[in-house]
Amino acid sequence: MQKKENQEVENRPDNTAFTQQRLPAWQPILSAGIVIPLFVLVGLAFIGIGVALFVTSRNLHVLEMDYTGVEKTSPCFSCSDPIKQKNCKCSLSFELDKLFEGPVFFYYGLTNYFQNQRAYGVSKDYNQLSGDLDYFTFFFSIVPDSTCKPYRYDVNNKPIVPCGSLANSMFNDTFNLYQMKNGVKEEVPLDGKGISWWTDYNIKYRNPSVNPLRNAFNGTVKPLYWSKPAYELDPTDTANNGFINQDFLVWMRRSALPNFRKLYRRITDGLPAGNYSLEISYNYPVIAFDGKKKVAFSNVSWMGGKNEFLGIAYLVIGSLCLVMSVVMLIIYHWRNSSPDAN
Amino acid sequence: MKLLGATAIEDKLQDGVPETIACLSLADIKIWVLTGDKLETAMNIGYSCNMLRDDMNEVFIISGNTQLEVQQQLRSAQEHILGLSRVSSAADVEKSDIELCPETVLEEAIIAEYALVVNGNSLAHALDPGLKLLLLDVACLCKTVICCRVTPLQKAQVVELVKTHRRAVTLAIGDGANDVSMIKMAHIGVGISGQEGMQAVLSSDYSFAQFRYLQRLLLVHGRWSYFRMCNFLRYFFYKNFAFTLVHLWYGFFCGFSAQTVYDQWFITLFNIVFTSLPVIAMGLFDQDVNDRNSMRYPSLYKPGQLNLLFNKRQFFLCTLQGLGTSFLLFFIPYGAFSVLLKKDGSNFSDQQAFAVTIATSLVLVASVQIGLDTHYWTAINHMFIWGSVAVYFAILFAIQSNGIFGVFTSYFPFVGTSRNTLSELNVWLVILLTAVLCVVPGLVVSFLKVQLFPTQTDKSRKGRGPQEQSLQRVRRTSSRRSAYAFSHQQGFGELITSGKNMRRSAICSAPPADEHYNHCNLFNHCTFHICFICGINHDMVNKQINF
Repeated sequence: MQKKENQEVENRPDNTAFTQQRLPAWQPILSAGIVIPLFVLVGLAFIGIGVALFVTSRNLHVLEMDYTGVEKTSPCFSCSDPIKQKNCKCSLSFELDKLFEGPVFFYYGLTNYFQNQRAYGVSKDYNQLSGDLDYFTFFFSIVPDSTCKPYRYDVNNKPIVPCGSLANSMFNDTFNLYQMKNGVKEEVPLDGKGISWWTDYNIKYRNPSVNPLRNAFNGTVKPLYWSKPAYELDPTDTANNGFINQDFLVWMRRSALPNFRKLYRRITDGLPAGNYSLEISYNYPVIAFDGKKKVAFSNVSWMGGKNEFLGIAYLVIGSLCLVMSVVMLIIYHWRNSSPDAN
Repeated sequence: MKLLGATAIEDKLQDGVPETIACLSLADIKIWVLTGDKLETAMNIGYSCNMLRDDMNEVFIISGNTQLEVQQQLRSAQEHILGLSRVSSAADVEKSDIELCPETVLEEAIIAEYALVVNGNSLAHALDPGLKLLLLDVACLCKTVICCRVTPLQKAQVVELVKTHRRAVTLAIGDGANDVSMIKMAHIGVGISGQEGMQAVLSSDYSFAQFRYLQRLLLVHGRWSYFRMCNFLRYFFYKNFAFTLVHLWYGFFCGFSAQTVYDQWFITLFNIVFTSLPVIAMGLFDQDVNDRNSMRYPSLYKPGQLNLLFNKRQFFLCTLQGLGTSFLLFFIPYGAFSVLLKKDGSNFSDQQAFAVTIATSLVLVASVQIGLDTHYWTAINHMFIWGSVAVYFAILFAIQSNGIFGVFTSYFPFVGTSRNTLSELNVWLVILLTAVLCVVPGLVVSFLKVQLFPTQTDKSRKGRGPQEQSLQRVRRTSSRRSAYAFSHQQGFGELITSGKNMRRSAICSAPPADEHYNHCNLFNHCTFHICFICGINHDMVNKQINF
């Protein structure tokens, strides 16, 4: 008898809360008392945020000008001719009727430019760009990344540094801004320091630790479309050469969408009202693929640049939430006020 | 003749058997009894379980000895039920079945209650290929089917008959070695461990010790299992569609170059680490109705029978929801990122920031959605859901940290992205807007569905369950039937030795070694005997249940 009882006890399943599915639990029910106030709250919060965003965005200014030069009347029409001289220069004039508060950010923009194309975007060698000299050459198995093809080595079989189509297609128009004061052209100082992400400048991209930098590039050639090699990208500032050149870093940060803007320079003191002339070295060809080139001036706030989409979206969603809460309240009352409510 | 004495065999039914049977029949589960006992015993069992009742319209007993007799009896039973007079020639035994309207329509139209009792001898004829469909049709028209004197092979054959010719899920429950073939044949086999040994248990899918636990197995655990599985599947499809279809939308903007929106590591870890544990917790612990109410309202079992929670329509709806979510997940950041700038003016609309924004929104949307789908929040659910979100952020910052970039340079190109992206207020505003917009429509729809078209489950969750089903009929109405049976029949020695009950291929002529058989055979040797059976069977009834 005892043995049988013991056996029975042994065979009995566990009787804990976990195994018998009796764990204490919270069982929320989506009742009207929770959902409708929640919607009202969310609606009001979103409307508040939307109003703040919209108002802030309204106070920001953006000035955008297209300088591709497709139309005959455009100042850069002569430069857009495919059979043109190198180093063509054109000049855009514009007028500001009130102070553009600083800091003003100067961007160049491209349209129909698919930097997010997959094969194009992976076409670079991370080891080269981290300054690993082994990858500057072909030496047995250590070669620049195969994704860099066809920009790995040139016709003479010399390795291209930095390899790849992403680096090769770097934007090379340059701009100078002049303010017309009493008929005299005065240059507006453009600050190019710190325009890229600090993690890019300090961590992701490193120059080879060779001094002077040009020695590291012995036996290599510059990318095919570049006019200057990497170690000479900025003659005025030695810290801004090689792979940590700010314009290079800005370009290497691939954009997500086909129409984008990239930061070029910063104007710290703002732009007072007046006439301005922007001189452009038109080098970059975009007409072949129906792209457009633009420049834009913008100032920023706590929420970034002028972004009406976000403000409007918040307002719309907030009001929709309020409308839905009213609708749900009506339906709830209609359902529950009739005497034969089940 | 001098009466020397009387023997009595008492074989009690287990506790709770009549209540269980009544409860299961309220859940639209059809119960058939297949027993090796003789006719009187089986009918007594039926009356004591309330499967057969005095107020039933008719109890058809099929006890023919030849195929023709059996066919005639079945046909007359069918005609009686259907109230039609069909002309059928006695000669066409070969014809498989009479043309009938779809059986489901017909069965529901039958409001009168009939019972069918089939003898083992007749069952052997009725399971012939020519007659079995007729047998099945008649049996499905009746409320209760009891087959007595059934051999183990015939039990399996009856189960197989229902399995192959009806869209029903079959469960067979038995406790003896003679039930093993039936248990193995049915979709679900349940063995009862106890007096008769462990053979039934060893060949079954589920086993327990008392018949009444079947009620809990089906109405509580079976129902929960179906509910959890369907929720799990719907959520899984939704989550994966939302995750993957973002690339469909992105294709239009990246030149269809198969550029992924997300970081490669995110793609690897999304289904394994970031969203797997909450859904496992929901699949293990979720309860829509607690166990007490599940047992109280057996009609809550019907959604499982009617396949309401996961069918083509539900799959299509969750696909649609996934598609809509992916649309919002892509286009709201798209609208914002076309002009987004950082506070310090540096450009922002780059591929990696876009990826981190959408990935974060996706993880948040998936976590909030599973939070809304979970009805029963145990501590484990809390831990898994909030933990997954925390783990996502931890892994995000770890993968994009400087340290790991230094070690594996080319495998972690996203270095620094999350630090730059998630420190911007406008990115969080985008994430908040996306998450809310993806979740809100589902919330509205489910709220309105509960208000406008509440299901039985919704009502019982609110505490106002379906009308308390009258279980009065369970209690034994005083019946004029006695629980005692006298048997004067000769017994079935001839049937068994004739070999008709045996499988054709197996060369087994030994009579089944069943206690009851032996007992009865002992008594059946003499022409006169008194078999005093008091009470009803202990070896709970061998049953076949259709749902």
